[in-house]
Amino acid sequence: MEALVDIKQVDFAHGQRQIYRQLSLQVPRGKIVAVMGPSGIGKTTLLRLIGGQLRPQQGQIEFAGHNIPTLSRSALYQVRQRMSMLFQSGALFTDMSVYENVAFPLREHSNLPESMIRSIVLMKLQAVGLRGARDLMPAELSGGMARRAALARAIALDPELIMYDEPFAGQDPISMGVLVKLIKDLNDSLGLTSIIVTHDVDEVMSIADYAYIIADQQVVAKGTPAELAQVDNALVKQFMGGEADGPVAFHYPADDYAQDLLARGAAVTGSSK
Amino acid sequence: MLDAIASVGRQTLDSLAGMGKALLVLLNAIIGKPTPKKSAPLLLQQMHVVGVKSLLIIIVSGLFIGMVLALQGYTILVDYGAEQSLGPMVALSLLRELGPVVTALLFAGRAGSALTAEIGLMKATEQLSSLEMMAVDPLRRVIAPRFWAGLISMPMLALIFSAVGIYGGYMVGVQWLGVDDGAFWSVMQSSVDWYDDLLNGIIKSVVFAFVVTWIALYKGYNSTPTSAGISSATTSTVVTASLAVLGLDFVLTALMFGG
Amino acid sequence: MESRKTQLTVGIFVIIAALALAFLAFKAASNSATTSGETYRIYAKFDNIGSLKVRSPVKVGGVVVGRVTSISLDGEYYEPLVEMTISSQFDEFSETSSVSVLTSGLLGEQYLGLQPGFIDDSVGMLKDGDYITDTKSALVLEQLIGQFLFSQGNE
Repeated sequence: MEALVDIKQVDFAHGQRQIYRQLSLQVPRGKIVAVMGPSGIGKTTLLRLIGGQLRPQQGQIEFAGHNIPTLSRSALYQVRQRMSMLFQSGALFTDMSVYENVAFPLREHSNLPESMIRSIVLMKLQAVGLRGARDLMPAELSGGMARRAALARAIALDPELIMYDEPFAGQDPISMGVLVKLIKDLNDSLGLTSIIVTHDVDEVMSIADYAYIIADQQVVAKGTPAELAQVDNALVKQFMGGEADGPVAFHYPADDYAQDLLARGAAVTGSSK
Repeated sequence: MLDAIASVGRQTLDSLAGMGKALLVLLNAIIGKPTPKKSAPLLLQQMHVVGVKSLLIIIVSGLFIGMVLALQGYTILVDYGAEQSLGPMVALSLLRELGPVVTALLFAGRAGSALTAEIGLMKATEQLSSLEMMAVDPLRRVIAPRFWAGLISMPMLALIFSAVGIYGGYMVGVQWLGVDDGAFWSVMQSSVDWYDDLLNGIIKSVVFAFVVTWIALYKGYNSTPTSAGISSATTSTVVTASLAVLGLDFVLTALMFGG
Repeated sequence: MESRKTQLTVGIFVIIAALALAFLAFKAASNSATTSGETYRIYAKFDNIGSLKVRSPVKVGGVVVGRVTSISLDGEYYEPLVEMTISSQFDEFSETSSVSVLTSGLLGEQYLGLQPGFIDDSVGMLKDGDYITDTKSALVLEQLIGQFLFSQGNE
């Protein structure tokens, strides 16, 4: 199976903090790949690495045969036209209407006449069900609608790859269902490749072809949703089952509780003497 | 104690290095590949935001400052029987100093803070990242038009400020306090020089425009993308830009009129 | 629609700024016609120039015809040498013209008063680079008082 995105042995540190060590993962063309993991392990960072906004200290990140970290600025901008990213907040331009937001990438990267842009924009908005909301400003949209509008903008240039950053975070069950269905439908009808970074296990497992679980700076488990359900790993089980305590401890690392309480008491009595 | 001084020094050097780097990046974005078809509408829109929307405060402040100058100047000059010098006094103060400086300070407060907040917010809501991912350079798309708009608008605002201020001075001096109409203008004309005063004033305000706009954009672009970060960046824009304007004003005045 | 309104307001803004510039340039400032356009230079040596400065006006009967463009000390005896730039409109000053350092009003600025000389077939006209020999220095208040006291003492 041909990999559209191929990440090989990537090391990445943000300042002092090591985020990835020898991370490798592949995204096959035409598939929906889920990347899951506990909060704060740098899932968004992974997408920014693929988009070339961050550069790894070591390793290769290949997108359709281009090694992203070594590309020149202009080559990177060329490659970016073939991918798009749906940000957690939607990142719609607040000073433009929904219509103008979707038209924006077309105006920037094509010389299409206005009538053609209009048709494309309306088609994309129809696909996400917001054709009637084209004249609204982003501030007038609900969270779910804003994300759908951003999705319409993301597919405006018919990219090969869409990266979703926490697409389901903070959505009510209905808009979550709408988004899950949209992602699946778009992927199938447009022949896209999708990477979904999330921790909403149930939703993403219903549509993903393949999934990676990242923890401790590395991939700890991978496989199809069915395979992952069978993995005999305490951390994977905790994550997939959503249990409060396990290998990922409920408590932030701290001194012994009883010791801590006693020490505090001693300090207070000490100071009162 | 020494550590504290050293840390002040280090911070100064770091921030200078950061600003220098930002300047290079900015210059690169501004100079690189002009695309008039796409950038003209953007520039126009930003001139509307930055320039037109600052017009009211500039006109009102200019008028009042001119009127106060005339009132204050008259009470001093009349003691020496030199009230005919009111015209040049008002005109020179405005053209050389108050026009460029007060405009720059008002601009920093009115437009500069708004620029910083806008860019900071665009950063916080990932709009800048999203531009980058759409293969659109945010420096060229967002920063450059705002920079040019500031650089062009502020000298224009300073001219308007001075003109309105002189008119305010005329209203108070001539129409209210009774300085002779003809003398007011003719003495002004004979002592205000086109090159020395008007042009130097314009040069001053171009320099201020560069500094204020640049500081505002830099602070916004490098703000911490949280609400606390943006509010502190906005405050810092007004403070830094105002201090820079006043400091530079002294240097420029010394260069232009000191020698 | 939106962009049309923007264009309109920005256009008005630019026009207001242009009007302000025109107002400042023509109404408030002298457009110093004497230093733009065609000019020629003449020189004059004084014993004392008082507080004459570069850019002080050169006037004929109160009308500005040029400006002082440089002041330096010249020759063995360090005499103040003043360079004047005169508009070529006024190029018919004879060599017998005189120039003096005058003061406008009691506390006013000092300027150069140019007194055109008589015109005769035997005298030529001042050309670029010529010197005016007939000069009167600035009145220095201390010297005047000194002279006054001296003459009082003589009586």
